[in-house]
Amino acid sequence: MRRAIIFRQLGLIVLFNSLFLLISTVISGILHETSFMPLLYSTLISIIFGIFPLVFVEKTENIQNKEGILIVVSGWIISCLFGMLPFVLWGGEFSLINAWFESVSGFTTTGSSILTEIESLPKGLLFWRSATHWIGGIGIILFALLIFPKSGSSRHTLIRSELSELSKQSFRTKTTNILKIILFVYAGLTLLETICLLLAGMSVFDAITHSFATIATGGFSPKNDSIAHFNSVAVEIIIMVFMVLSGMHFGLHYATLTRRKRNLFTSSIVRYYLLFLLIGIILVTLKLHMSEFGEWGKSLRYASFQVISLGTTTGFATIDTAAWPAFAQIILIYFSVQCACIGSTSGGLKFDRILMLFKSIKKQIQVFLHPQAIIVKRLDKMKITNEMEQFFLTFTILYVLVILLSTIINSFFGMDLMTSFSASVATIGNVGPGFGEVSSLGNFANLPAVSKFVLTIVMLMGRLEIFSILSMFYLRSWK
Amino acid sequence: MRLRYKILSGFLLIVAMLIVAGSFSIIEFSKISKSVEDLLDNNYRSIEASKNLLEALEREDSGVLLLLHGNWNEGRKVIEYGDSLFKKSLYIVENNITEKNEESYIDSIKRRYKKYKTIWEKPIVGTYKEENINWYYRETHTVFLEVKKAVKNLMDLNQESMYQESTKLKEKAKRAIMPGIVAIISAFIFLFLFNYFISHYFISPIEKLTEELENFPQNKENLETKIDSKDEMNRLKKAIENVINKVRRRI
Repeated sequence: MRRAIIFRQLGLIVLFNSLFLLISTVISGILHETSFMPLLYSTLISIIFGIFPLVFVEKTENIQNKEGILIVVSGWIISCLFGMLPFVLWGGEFSLINAWFESVSGFTTTGSSILTEIESLPKGLLFWRSATHWIGGIGIILFALLIFPKSGSSRHTLIRSELSELSKQSFRTKTTNILKIILFVYAGLTLLETICLLLAGMSVFDAITHSFATIATGGFSPKNDSIAHFNSVAVEIIIMVFMVLSGMHFGLHYATLTRRKRNLFTSSIVRYYLLFLLIGIILVTLKLHMSEFGEWGKSLRYASFQVISLGTTTGFATIDTAAWPAFAQIILIYFSVQCACIGSTSGGLKFDRILMLFKSIKKQIQVFLHPQAIIVKRLDKMKITNEMEQFFLTFTILYVLVILLSTIINSFFGMDLMTSFSASVATIGNVGPGFGEVSSLGNFANLPAVSKFVLTIVMLMGRLEIFSILSMFYLRSWK
Repeated sequence: MRLRYKILSGFLLIVAMLIVAGSFSIIEFSKISKSVEDLLDNNYRSIEASKNLLEALEREDSGVLLLLHGNWNEGRKVIEYGDSLFKKSLYIVENNITEKNEESYIDSIKRRYKKYKTIWEKPIVGTYKEENINWYYRETHTVFLEVKKAVKNLMDLNQESMYQESTKLKEKAKRAIMPGIVAIISAFIFLFLFNYFISHYFISPIEKLTEELENFPQNKENLETKIDSKDEMNRLKKAIENVINKVRRRI
């Protein structure tokens, strides 16, 4: 393990963060805000730490796989540490644990917040808060990879961590191209949504920050009442469309734009993903119509936004779902577990894997009926191998175990069952809001400090798909 | 980059970090100092003046009671002292308006005091009012309490503002201390990194080169020490290799 090389790459990641810190500082400076000095100091510290390794460590052409994994995991943690600096320095509601929570929630695109008075924050700090989503969304590692020297094996490792093994196989394009495609689509969608929101009547600041949070499927809003603040159907429709788009494989967007054969319209995963969302919306609408609103329009409006928001792991809110009937809440919890497609910025178990699970169940039934038969199942023309099924099973078991463990720990520290369970589901899936105390218009401010810390670990596990984090415990055996 | 510049840049970056942290803390502390001054100038002065207003009113009330008992000389003396103190304190309050609506609070005091003054300015000794405790409770005491309440309202306004300002001060103090804490932690991490780089890029290769040179007569191969950097260390290694080759050729 060459530590010096790892330091160099981490330096690049920190430098990338400092670019957004600088923009936030400029905003704060122009508006003469109290956050100017905290942001300026954080920017300078980040630049100093980013530049330092570059002075000593020469460029290298070859990064090993293990080094790649370590860069991914530590890159994320270091970004979260530097990301909390402006919050801690500014003060207000940001105690040490709160600043860490907000930063991790931002970079992992979870969107859970400890803030009770979001609108009282200076604009520069709010911009940085949204920027953490944007950086985290695309994967700071992925960005750093674009400016990394060309290295063979490391890229695969990094991509495996960022996009998961399945996405690497589902989109048959060269690795380098995938990175460029994702960047292009990501920036393009952000710009497009910003323009749409501006046309819908949002201010420039609100449009940019909400676009950052939507495309990254994060959910941080600079408003206390999230999207409910605008009370605008147009705004809600725009955000819903972009949430759904952000929940799809970014490579498929590019393929659609360039009129390739395998695109959004021909992908069976996308079809099933949309179908599942539609079924969810219909079920919740029906329930809300029967027991909450009594109006079809209103029921559809709130149901569709909440199902899409949680189903894409964004976490924006137009209403407090804590008061909704249990049936609607269960549907929403299901979508918080299922989440969106692999290759998007969403977290969670991922829809592709759920689909694979259904296909595997069907295969097992067929094998049971016809023991001699050789049955091959495919997911968008890709053969589902036993290895993939085994990996998915292990991953799911681990996923459930993490939720259980987090629920138990949080309950021990005084959280009620609904809050601790839904908070665990929401954080590992990088969804954001849960139910109970941490519902869509609630926040995580009143949770015990230990629970907040546990949930940040769960967020990081969710973002890095558990295995990357767990592999850190075997660092000694890497040597 | 040359060795000298690498080491120098390390030190310069530490210095830059400390300067930035120091400047940040100085700016924040000067803000605190300004806020403390403002706090004393604005609210504390008004609170003190309000206390004097209350004291003056109490004196005047005592004077009225003395007049009621027929002590004309002593009563007038106490009342005049109270009136003079009231006017002085009111002047301070009027010239130290710092809060929103503070002016209306002062107007209310002035209005009520004027009413109160008309009561004790009229003769008491030798009239039906003398020894008339009912008159005192019915007319004087009620107005006296009204003025007192108006003064207390002003005092509460300034106290509330002072409390809010002190909460902000607490926040500013935290903001002033945090850069120092961050700088200390960062400096530790930075020194650890610096130490690692110095050890990895300078000390370790020198040690390896020295070891190889010490074993040179037994070792017939070229130098095995790997040097990743393109600085003086690399040049040193190449120079040693040249010397070794020349020596070998001579042998």
